[in-house]
Amino acid sequence: MSTGIPVARPRYRGGVAKRRQARAAWLFLAPSLVILGVFIVYPMTQALYLSFTDYDVLNPATWTGLANYRELLGDEAFRNALVNTLYYAAVATPVSVALALGCALLLNRRFPLRGLGRTAVFLPVVVGLAIVAIAWGFLLDPDIGLLSYWLGKIGLTANSGWVRDPTLAMPAVIIVGVWKNIGFYMVIYLAGLQSIPRDLYEAAEVDGASPWQRFRNVTWPLLANQTMLVTILCAIATLQAFDQIFVMTHGGPFFRTETLVMLIYRQGFSEFRFGYAAAISWALVLLILVLSIFQFAYFRKRAVRY
Amino acid sequence: MMNGNPSPRRRGAGSPTARRLIGVALAAALSLTGCAGQGQKKDEGSSTSGGKVTISFWNGFTGPDRPAVEGLVKKFNASQNKVTVTMEISPWDVFFQKLLPSIGAGKGPDLMGMDAAQLPQYASRGVLRPMDEYYSDAANESDKLVKPAVDATAWQGKHYGVPMNFTTLLLYWNKGMFKDAGLDPDTPPKTWAEFQTAAKKLTKDTNGDGKPEQYGLALADHETIAMWPILFWGNGGGVVSDDGKKAMLGDPKTIEAMQQWGDLVRNQHISPVGLGGADADKLFQTKKAAMEIVGPWMTTGFKDAGIDFGLAAPPAGPAGPVTLGTSVAFAVNAKTTDAKAKAAQEFIKFWNTKDSQKEWALGSGFPPNRTDLAAGDLTENPYVVAFGEPAGTAKFYLANVKDFTKVNDTLYTPALQKVLNGKGTAQDLFPQASAQIQQLLDSQQ
Repeated sequence: MSTGIPVARPRYRGGVAKRRQARAAWLFLAPSLVILGVFIVYPMTQALYLSFTDYDVLNPATWTGLANYRELLGDEAFRNALVNTLYYAAVATPVSVALALGCALLLNRRFPLRGLGRTAVFLPVVVGLAIVAIAWGFLLDPDIGLLSYWLGKIGLTANSGWVRDPTLAMPAVIIVGVWKNIGFYMVIYLAGLQSIPRDLYEAAEVDGASPWQRFRNVTWPLLANQTMLVTILCAIATLQAFDQIFVMTHGGPFFRTETLVMLIYRQGFSEFRFGYAAAISWALVLLILVLSIFQFAYFRKRAVRY
Repeated sequence: MMNGNPSPRRRGAGSPTARRLIGVALAAALSLTGCAGQGQKKDEGSSTSGGKVTISFWNGFTGPDRPAVEGLVKKFNASQNKVTVTMEISPWDVFFQKLLPSIGAGKGPDLMGMDAAQLPQYASRGVLRPMDEYYSDAANESDKLVKPAVDATAWQGKHYGVPMNFTTLLLYWNKGMFKDAGLDPDTPPKTWAEFQTAAKKLTKDTNGDGKPEQYGLALADHETIAMWPILFWGNGGGVVSDDGKKAMLGDPKTIEAMQQWGDLVRNQHISPVGLGGADADKLFQTKKAAMEIVGPWMTTGFKDAGIDFGLAAPPAGPAGPVTLGTSVAFAVNAKTTDAKAKAAQEFIKFWNTKDSQKEWALGSGFPPNRTDLAAGDLTENPYVVAFGEPAGTAKFYLANVKDFTKVNDTLYTPALQKVLNGKGTAQDLFPQASAQIQQLLDSQQ
């Protein structure tokens, strides 16, 4: 903000103004800070403390040092959930980003009922994931499901059904998760598309650029900021996949769809091991933190300003 | 505190961050534990005004039996002027999610109704009051209660609950489908041989794609009332021995039963693989399965779906007739004052009187908790009598096992599912799981 011209301002006045400004800033920040502190920072530090204890909620926590973390390293269930989580994120993130971009490009054009199309893609975002998962569970039911029936008509018969089949259950929960969330990312991309200056396209057209070249050289690079945002948000969200899995498969069959958050839930709420569950939560926090730092570093070099 | 629980009811807003969910739940629980010191011995005065004691009662009877529960509570409150029961009914999953942090905070209800199989998890952590004082009072006529249901409330030599309801599971068979398959619609299978023949006959793959359009049996393997264990018991095996001390999943009898029925499911497709309890019910309800072994809670749904079904004891295996018994038990909070515990016992006594049990049975469709009600009292509801009949051969699944959830969800169910999906054999997987179950059982002694 400095103008580059050193002006000798009366010190005390500047100080007062600054202080007043600072106070106003803190006042504006206060509500968010209080909420963040009470509902995020405090619980997280509590969870950090509990991760070093043996705690079943019904009895006071007892300090066990690093025992939970040591158990984590050798725990088959943790390794399984970690692999499942990474699998889910590695598939769901790129697919979501690509589909969200595709939908945004399509729905950015002018055509009749465009509003309806946008609403249709966005609608799943505002519907509860649990409700959505129940509906999909019905559609995919191998015996009474509509989708299974249609797929059967064209010769695609899943013997025990998508959700119940050990190899198809994960794709099923990924499809539902992706379908549920692309609307949100699409909106981000739509905003990005609309902020790209028209004259760039006109210039490209004058130069004889094909539609693909226009996308490749104008649209895609200028959407870099949105791509960064969407990719990071999506990766964070998919690493925490829970709701639809809880409803559709409950982590089964035999833990094939058990993600880290499902494991946290199982350890805490059904096996009463909240200390261990807290340790897994913190492992997940660290995983997300590290991944986000890498993503951020990668994308920051590609950020655009126009 | 509920907001912190990642329950299926939670709205999936954009990206519900896991650490927030879990963190909030933990923090809520912890901060409440923090105030437990001041809060636990609540002043008795507030709820005993005018010599009247108010006790809170939580349970999960949200189903068709809800009016019967509410009716009896109302009747009890009107029947005397010393005790008032205030009841809070929520779905079972919400009930348990609420119960854990509230008891952890030294609060929670005075009286609760919970599945007897869950009692040891709480009793072993010292949060339930032993009920032996109730059983030793002859006026309560506890000797008239269904014995297996009473035994299921025991944990390490003490009783921690009193039966609130009790039922067995029966074989439902679809008479119309029996007729279409050339079977006598009025004669249910009585032995395993007849059961297996019927199941095969009733399984039909009409379009020849290898996936039947109609199944002989709906056999659920997860998220369900125990169905497979009935088959293990029928052969003399099981998951855990009746006294809760010995793992039996690796027993040759269990493995033999698993091989026999697993082969029928995998190769003859008599039942789909991977059914949850609700899926199995749906299958029978939509006439896609001809038989199911389940409790009285499905009679209304099946009748409403227009199914002409019969009820019989599950066909007897080589080891003789057996079925699953299941019960919800009354349990009293350990933090509850003596006066309130006494009041709770008054209510439990009222609940289990002959008159109340008759009303309960007819209203809920469950058989009575007492063995001394004449069938003549219950003729209005023929199902009630049927479900009460095999009480003598009923076994409780994982009774007196502290780590019910861990044994069932973490060790037994995955092993069963792997075998059914052809990811291993019972000979290999069951002894492995059995050894792990044994470790848990040993550690609870």
